[in-house]
Amino acid sequence: MIRFGTLLAWLLAAGVVAGMVAGAVAAPSGRLMVYTSQPSDQMAKVVEAFRKTHPDIRVELFRSGTTEVMNKLQAELAAGRPQADVVLIADAVAITQLKNDNRLLSYPGAPASKVPAALIDPDRTYFGTKLITTGIVINTNLVKTAPRSWKDLLPASAAGKTILAHPLYSGAAVIHIGTMVQQSEFGWRYLETLARSGAIAARGNGAVIEAVARGEKAYGVIIEYMAFNAKAKGSPVDFVFPEEGVSAITQPVAILKTSRNVEAAKAFVDWQLSVEAQLQSVTQGYFPIFPDIVPPKGYPPVSSLKIMPGDFAAMLANDESNKRRFTELFGG
Amino acid sequence: MASVHPASYFFGKRRSPWGRRRVLIIALAVYVVALGVLPLARLFVEAFLPGRGGELFGVLLQQWRTPAAQTALIHTLEASALATLVSVLIGVVVAFVLALTDIRNKAALTFVALLPLLVPSQITALAWIELTSSSMFALLGLAPAPGETNMLYSKGGIVLVMGIEHSTLVFLAVRAGLRNLPRDLIEAARLGGAHPLRVARSVILPLALPALLAGAALAFVASIGNFGIPALLGIPGRYTMLTTLIYQHLQGFGPRVLGEVAALAVGLGALAVAGLLLPVVVRGFAIQGGSAPLEPFPLGRSRAWAESLLWILLTVIAVMPLVALLAASLAPALGVPLRFDTATLANYRFALLEQDATLRAFGNSLLLAFTTALVSAAVALPLAYFATLRQSRTARVLDAVAAVPYAVPGTVLAIAIILVFLPPVPLLNVSLYGTIGIILIAYLARFLALVLRPTMAAMGLINKNLDEAAQIAGAPLLLRLRAVILPSVAPSVMAGALLIFMSALNELTVSALLWSTGRETLGVVVFALQYEGNSPAAAAVATISVALTLALAMLATTLRGRLPEGVVPWQA
Repeated sequence: MIRFGTLLAWLLAAGVVAGMVAGAVAAPSGRLMVYTSQPSDQMAKVVEAFRKTHPDIRVELFRSGTTEVMNKLQAELAAGRPQADVVLIADAVAITQLKNDNRLLSYPGAPASKVPAALIDPDRTYFGTKLITTGIVINTNLVKTAPRSWKDLLPASAAGKTILAHPLYSGAAVIHIGTMVQQSEFGWRYLETLARSGAIAARGNGAVIEAVARGEKAYGVIIEYMAFNAKAKGSPVDFVFPEEGVSAITQPVAILKTSRNVEAAKAFVDWQLSVEAQLQSVTQGYFPIFPDIVPPKGYPPVSSLKIMPGDFAAMLANDESNKRRFTELFGG
Repeated sequence: MASVHPASYFFGKRRSPWGRRRVLIIALAVYVVALGVLPLARLFVEAFLPGRGGELFGVLLQQWRTPAAQTALIHTLEASALATLVSVLIGVVVAFVLALTDIRNKAALTFVALLPLLVPSQITALAWIELTSSSMFALLGLAPAPGETNMLYSKGGIVLVMGIEHSTLVFLAVRAGLRNLPRDLIEAARLGGAHPLRVARSVILPLALPALLAGAALAFVASIGNFGIPALLGIPGRYTMLTTLIYQHLQGFGPRVLGEVAALAVGLGALAVAGLLLPVVVRGFAIQGGSAPLEPFPLGRSRAWAESLLWILLTVIAVMPLVALLAASLAPALGVPLRFDTATLANYRFALLEQDATLRAFGNSLLLAFTTALVSAAVALPLAYFATLRQSRTARVLDAVAAVPYAVPGTVLAIAIILVFLPPVPLLNVSLYGTIGIILIAYLARFLALVLRPTMAAMGLINKNLDEAAQIAGAPLLLRLRAVILPSVAPSVMAGALLIFMSALNELTVSALLWSTGRETLGVVVFALQYEGNSPAAAAVATISVALTLALAMLATTLRGRLPEGVVPWQA
């Protein structure tokens, strides 16, 4: 008769062995781990479309704000076992931090011939996938004459009803603030005036569209597709491309050096740079980066967009001090 | 020879009580240390490293010398202390009125008082912002002029919203404590002719003090670690607190960041331990509890007044955010006014049918919330027993450190857990990372304090003689815990378990970093939808989760005949 204690010990040992075996056998040979800041419902469709041509690759996602994605990566690197194969985040500043930390794999063989050179890293470690611009969203119930210029936000009556996305919480805002302070007609003077006159900063673009759509604020500085998508659903908002120009982010994709499935990662990058992916982006409200693809309905043609010039290297160097200075002005 | 004790006749060979007790304490210590202490210690090590110039504790000193950190510390202490006062005021008043007077509809009122914990805090804050800019407030002359900054974006706003949010913690703790009041003392006071208010102030309040302090400690620790409300209201209000300051540092990327974040988190941890020691230092009167329920104070003519005031208070605090939530979920798009012809269920359809993550998240969060509540309650009972009745120093230390994972911001805890649990567990060579197990570990570490505080308070009030009598009769430790101790502290344990369930169901900041495909939680799904500008869908998911919890509450209410008395908190 087996004693209970012995039986328990055997069961435990069997469980341990089974766990180890399962762990070894389940080592995925077709798993691709993507860390991204693109909205989840969009990513679900992206993965669906990708898997049509690559059915043997199992894509798993971690989706959160750019900050959280970078934190998770940082913690994993500190623990010595990074899990991500591919990162797809909003702005090139954050991804350049990864590059400077020597974490990105160079992929010269990527099919990037149709992609504008400005969107590709010269060392071929990351590639832009979309064009997302930042402009002004207005509440059509509260604003009767639409603003035409960034300067229209400066008077106290407008600034007090303005909400911006905070660069601590939004990758697009990092680029937008970095670009604005480099323009001679705006600079830090512009932001200081806004702050003094009562403009506030919010946690991310989602908070901006929420405040403006609900009528809590009349003007918002936000990425265009959120405003257009809300408008299409019936929210009382409209989007303005200011005449001085807009700032732009490219949502770059990159492969981590520590990836355990480089082949699948390369396949994903190739797909992101293909015409198929561009067509899908358009259905989700993004500007395409290939010149011959039609932008979403209601959007101006890409060639008509005036993008404010920016010194990317300077933006990168001043990233921390920009964020600090913005936080001193707007809180954080 | 009849030297066999009756109990041991049934329970086999009696082991030395010392051996079993030591094993249990060691097991508890391993649990608390492995889950909560070890990950945070691993992170805090980064804070105690030498600075760039090599000076001792350089990283720590460098952080705390900056004016930003010092200002944030003062703000955190200020706002949290005031918010705790607000929570205590609301919680105590509501608990006293509901537990001690003859107000009608007690079950409904108690239930409504519990609702603030069910609604995610970002939604409550948004509801308050809408309320203060609404036409109702304009009628009262309190609304801000269009263009003027909303008055909630300030220290006052943070104190108000945090105070209301955490008042449920105090309410549950105090109410559970009031169940143990000795009837004879209070009857003696009333027979002596004391006015009911006098009785409340000089007899009941001192007796309820341990439970009150337990609730206040929880509210304080919850306030210093709160991130959502300082982020939503404090950023526009330029009122930085430690949690938002930590978030600023998380922006950087590189090996320095962990040290800076850890240095600030150490400060929060120290505040948490200090806050937790308050109930220990300021002890109330511990008297053996009675078993007969108190006869409620008759309120006479003022009963109608009291009822109306209470309903108004609870409606504003609890019902209004829920109504705002429901309205937001039925709107076709952001900003479209809700009317009968525009109301739509499209958001619910989207949330449930078009996004399979939602159903998965419900399953995951329910499983996590139940398991965490159950396991934490099972751990808290022996831990509180050893710390209080057996005067074990180890248990007391464990109790103190259990507060730290609850007080540090969820992001910091998540990073700490990643650091320790990403590499495979030794011996088993299995990594929990990327599984639901790692979220469970994080929740177990984080929420233990919620059940430990009320249980400790209740444990201090029970009659030690019962336990000793059982021991003399030969009952082993586990049997005593189950059959003698547990029934006496069941209301407090259940209150704590309920708190854990509700908090874990909507938890966000910890699971935001630990989730992965298939292992989403409700908080992550709601937050992601809101972050992406789809708040109607976020509201729909949150409404479903509230409805689910209400359904579970109904179930518990119908089963109350089978459960011990006081276990279902809103049944008298």
